[in-house]
Amino acid sequence: MKMKHILNYFSSFCFLLILNWAQAQEKVVVKPNLETVAQEQSKDSILVKKDRYGLRVGVDLFKLSRGFYDKNYKGVELTGDFRWNKKYYLAAELGNENKTTEDDRLTTNSKGSYLKVGFDYNLYENWLDMENVISVGLRYGLSTFSQELNSYKIYNAHPYWGELPSIPTSEKYNGLSASWLEVVTGMKAKMFNNVFMGFSIQLKTLISNKKPEGFDNLYIPGFNRTYNGNFGIGFNYSVTYFIPLYKKKVVSKLSATD
Amino acid sequence: MKKRILLLVVFISSLFSSCEKDDVCDANTITTPRLVLTFYDINNPSVLKTVTQLKVIGEDMDKGIIFSPNATGEAKYLTSGSTISIPLKVDQDITTYNLTFNSGNTNPALVFSDKIQINYSRTNMFVSRACGYKTNFSLKPTNPIIHNAVPTNNRKWIQYISVEKSNIENENETHLKLFF
Repeated sequence: MKMKHILNYFSSFCFLLILNWAQAQEKVVVKPNLETVAQEQSKDSILVKKDRYGLRVGVDLFKLSRGFYDKNYKGVELTGDFRWNKKYYLAAELGNENKTTEDDRLTTNSKGSYLKVGFDYNLYENWLDMENVISVGLRYGLSTFSQELNSYKIYNAHPYWGELPSIPTSEKYNGLSASWLEVVTGMKAKMFNNVFMGFSIQLKTLISNKKPEGFDNLYIPGFNRTYNGNFGIGFNYSVTYFIPLYKKKVVSKLSATD
Repeated sequence: MKKRILLLVVFISSLFSSCEKDDVCDANTITTPRLVLTFYDINNPSVLKTVTQLKVIGEDMDKGIIFSPNATGEAKYLTSGSTISIPLKVDQDITTYNLTFNSGNTNPALVFSDKIQINYSRTNMFVSRACGYKTNFSLKPTNPIIHNAVPTNNRKWIQYISVEKSNIENENETHLKLFF
């Protein structure tokens, strides 16, 4: 648990650095493009900038790599977003998880697929042709999954007759589902060409939770571990590729007010 | 625009219930219940009667049930109240206890011992992530309690046992009434 926190902090820090680096890089590479120059000459030096619009698709490296060091976890998440206008991106994530949880008193497995759809709002003011994103967004998530109870312990506050070892079983609970709302804060930095790296943190709250008879949903794919209330938390660390589709002219505010 | 988005985020964040600690099984959670016995006066069956220096020890066990955890020595295992709670075995359908009246009395003629065997069936039920499962008990419809004096040819000090609740699901109620 502690390791995970450290990892999170570390990667957050790294990305702050990367963003700075990307910014610095962009500044160096920036060249006045011919079109802009042409526009400047014809329209009394009104700067015209073109934003690229397109589809960004990628994969969550955090989930993918976790399968290598955590024998109880297998998962994949595909991420995608589409630039709607200057600030808004339509976003979606599609994933599948298979996780075994070993609690003190229960060992359970949860597996299933999920889909999250929503939007991101870019808070970051990009310079010139930079395309970095620092965003807040909302998602609606939906998961269908099954759970299996592998073993359990009987809680006995008065163990006069001694503690019992955990009891192996294989109780299956199928046809479960849950939906939730999440607030996503994250960032994506352009590394080179059309490749972006980024991370996000999600705070989640359950809207619906179809629990099995006589058991609880302890882990919901896409939502992660459940707590007593509706609260949940998630983390994503993604590499994405931007597929440019078209460009839109943007009149720079600065030059417009000149 | 930015402000509106931030407000929305703050509003939605406020919907998240505060983090609740759920790693430790809360002592107030109803988990595996003990069997609650209450003592009554045989001559006046509606009146509670306190026992004297009662010691309850499980069959094949070395030590009795601790009734007074703050006491030292043998006194830990003694009670002089009118109600006791005794744990049932969660891996067997039979639990047997010896109930000794006037335990530790220097006059052996005043020390009486009865043996009660409790016959039941068990159901394991899910409680929570932190507590795991609990066992609920249901006393057998026929011969739920087998009651003998120790040794068997002695007179029993408990004269009558009545089953009040055959489903043992919590400790807030009396399951067995013992008259002496």
